[in-house]
Amino acid sequence: MGVRGGCTLLALGAALTACAWLLGSAAADGEPGAAGMRRRRRLHQEDGISFEYHRYPELREALVSVWLQCPSVSRIYTVGRSFEGRELLVIELSDNPGEHEPGEPEFKYIGNMHGNEAVGRELLIFLAQYLCNEYQKGNETVINLIHNTRIHIMPSLNPDGFEKAASQPGELKDWFVGRSNAQGIDLNRNFPDLDRIVYVNEREGGPNNHLLKNMKKIVDQNTKLAPETKAVIHWIMDIPFVLSANLHGGDLVANYPYDETRSGSAHEYSPCPDDATFQSLARGYSSFNPAMSDPNRPPCRKNDDDSSFVDGTTNGGAWYSVPGGMQDFNYLSSNCFEITVELSCDKFPPEETLKSYWEDNKNSLMNYLEQIHRGVKGFVRDLQGKPIANATISVEGIDHDITTAKDGDYWRLLVPGNYRLTASAPGYLAITKKVAVPYSPAVGVDFELESLSERKEEEKEELMEWWKMMSETLNF
Amino acid sequence: MGLLQMGTMIQVLALVLSQIHAFPKPEGIQDKSLHNRELSVERPLKEQIAEAETDQILKIAPPENKAGERNYSSDNLNLLKAIGEKEKKEKERKSLQNSPHNKKLIMEEVDSTKNRRLVDDYDSTKSGLENKSQDDPDGLHQLDGTPLTAEDIVQKIATRIYEENDRGVFDKIVSKLLNLGLITESQANTLEDEVAEVLQKLISKEARNNEEEPDYPSSRTENYAENLPEKTTIKPAIQGGLTNGESDDTVHKTWTIPNTLERRNKLYTEDNFDDLQYFPNFYALLKSIDSEKEAKEKETLITIMKTLIDFVKMMVKYGTISPEEGVSYLENLDATIALQTKNKLDKNAADNKNRFIPDKSHEEADSTKEEAAKMEKEYGTQKDSTKDGSNTEKNEEPKGKTEAYLEAIRKNIEWLKKHDKQGNKEDYDLSKMKDFINQQADIYVEKGILDEQEAETIKRIYSSL
Repeated sequence: MGVRGGCTLLALGAALTACAWLLGSAAADGEPGAAGMRRRRRLHQEDGISFEYHRYPELREALVSVWLQCPSVSRIYTVGRSFEGRELLVIELSDNPGEHEPGEPEFKYIGNMHGNEAVGRELLIFLAQYLCNEYQKGNETVINLIHNTRIHIMPSLNPDGFEKAASQPGELKDWFVGRSNAQGIDLNRNFPDLDRIVYVNEREGGPNNHLLKNMKKIVDQNTKLAPETKAVIHWIMDIPFVLSANLHGGDLVANYPYDETRSGSAHEYSPCPDDATFQSLARGYSSFNPAMSDPNRPPCRKNDDDSSFVDGTTNGGAWYSVPGGMQDFNYLSSNCFEITVELSCDKFPPEETLKSYWEDNKNSLMNYLEQIHRGVKGFVRDLQGKPIANATISVEGIDHDITTAKDGDYWRLLVPGNYRLTASAPGYLAITKKVAVPYSPAVGVDFELESLSERKEEEKEELMEWWKMMSETLNF
Repeated sequence: MGLLQMGTMIQVLALVLSQIHAFPKPEGIQDKSLHNRELSVERPLKEQIAEAETDQILKIAPPENKAGERNYSSDNLNLLKAIGEKEKKEKERKSLQNSPHNKKLIMEEVDSTKNRRLVDDYDSTKSGLENKSQDDPDGLHQLDGTPLTAEDIVQKIATRIYEENDRGVFDKIVSKLLNLGLITESQANTLEDEVAEVLQKLISKEARNNEEEPDYPSSRTENYAENLPEKTTIKPAIQGGLTNGESDDTVHKTWTIPNTLERRNKLYTEDNFDDLQYFPNFYALLKSIDSEKEAKEKETLITIMKTLIDFVKMMVKYGTISPEEGVSYLENLDATIALQTKNKLDKNAADNKNRFIPDKSHEEADSTKEEAAKMEKEYGTQKDSTKDGSNTEKNEEPKGKTEAYLEAIRKNIEWLKKHDKQGNKEDYDLSKMKDFINQQADIYVEKGILDEQEAETIKRIYSSL
């Protein structure tokens, strides 16, 4: 009986297996039609990355797709709206999206600040998709990056400008159309000019970091600031960014601070206190881009002066003076180190070239991300273990201090060498430690600061002890 | 060509085997003995119900142990012990509510059930152990004697997992099937889903049942009555596989023919062919599958055939059918193979292309493709997308966007499954993910990141999974 039944079962099984295969083959017929319809939109698709220009709706769709594919490590948010009301979208990739984990450094990429410099915008969309894909494939480098960093990607800071630029007919796009925002403001000249203040302070004494306290109030009251600029400033104030890059087009170089010349002349090498660090960071991008780091590369245009370019990098002021730029604003108002990367001689190249731009820049983008895990990092706490926010970390020999974030955590990017780091905070006794810094990874150094009142108490106790001892001795 | 023939073979087998009901049904004998049993003794209604339930559990218990396999006899013993205990507990509970004097009787029932053979014709000198194993094939029939459907198999697997409280059962089954190449990864995943679903139902049902006086037999048959046709495509693959997997072990143990023990390890032993020489057509078919690549297919075919032969041999041995009937059946099988092979080969040219993408298409046929087809219909005709913002772009966009979202969601689910499997977690993360996505989608709509329509689409896709 049972055997009998078993036979029936087998029969059923085999029969239905056959049905399954038939079904499968039938379903296969549905494929070609659908593929044809998708043809136009997925011109050069590879692993979910479509190498074509994304207008605002497509940009949004692309980011949403990344989020849908990797919802456990990604989150979309907006830092504000452009003048014409488009969301300034950011996609965040991290193992705990939406949260700052104490000790986890924050990174940002911003593209398309000039609306007609389009390559950066596209590269960042590709990057987001790439990181998600690789994460799911088990790529260890990517997994480690995402688990140990909070990566923020803003493909376009000037979506209005891009729409204007992209709407131009024909392949050749004008050098200027779409560059500024909808109000005609050049966003990369719109930031408060902190360079000038710093230069004054250098002469007459004064701080050179975290200038402009009460930043938010000043920003909100300033009528000259574009909504996009304001949004970014708030963003910088809210999140303790450590490293950043600002993607542009029109040339092929990695540019670092200061952008504005000290003397006010048109070209002058204007180093910042972290010049050595910045050179290393900039090379961290350019050296992985074959075209950018090619020493024999001819300049983008015949009469271009690229004499300041070294290894695909340049000091901002040495190249040409830029006041009110976002890069220097980062360095002088916050802890964030930002460089400006020019990705293409052509600001808005033909769509077919996008794939090759991705190939050229993929490794640079990844390697630059990893630069965040360099130098020294750690926590500043009091003797009870409570974090001390806004404590100062100064490095002997480098006239630029950084501060600790809300959880007492800090990240000090440094090139390899021996340093003395000092942690200090109002009401606390400063502590200095010696650190030997390799190329990478970052060295962990924590500080436990004793508050002044605690020290006073200690001293009082010591004094009492001594007095007791003395009086006992004398009275004996 | 081998793959083709294999497919042909399977289909042929399928067709052939589905005509088995031409064969004399021995169920009548079984029912008769059951019947007789019940009439011979007057027992309280509750006991009879309990007994029926126990029988059912025995049948359910090892759904994959068909064809009287012996290898898992110790497993069965433990299982039955566990069942017996469970039975005991339930009965104790029940009896506490009822009159105490029934308790003793009920306990006896449990014990005596273990020894009772459902087919009295079985050799009474055999130990209770083996008889239990022989009982197992009965698990293929429901109480009312109708053959099980694919849905039932899932039910049984789920029940077994539940009762053993070990999902290793499922993993064992699935890995066997995968090794035999009878199911693909995605089919395995789908099966897992379905089993999980049923398991969940079981658990909640049990919880409910524990609170009230249940009517066990009827609630069980209730589940069996559900036959969802769309699921049949996957599970019977399991059935076939289960049978094959277990019968290998069967052959291993039951037959005292020399070389039996080596049979399992050798891929192409002469023994296989010895047995099969009585089936010239099948033999010819096997011979024609020569290449390295098709080694696995060949092995599967051989296993299938051997299983059939073993079934028949056992039926003959235990007198379920007469030897002549067995022989004639097998001869019929061979003849039908010849005929069907010939017919199928004529049609193969057209099917050739489609054969090679069954798995992928099938997987898509599951939920995402249905969903895509639904979406496509909703959004109207398709046109090439242009970048100048004309109205035609609008029609194309929603569809392209939906597809993109679908694709992304699918990748996420796949990754989730793979990720969870490695972490040995249950796949209930899917519902957590669903909730999370729904929540996030709403937040995104508020923030202006998604528009309402998109959020609806995404929620709908997730709810269809």
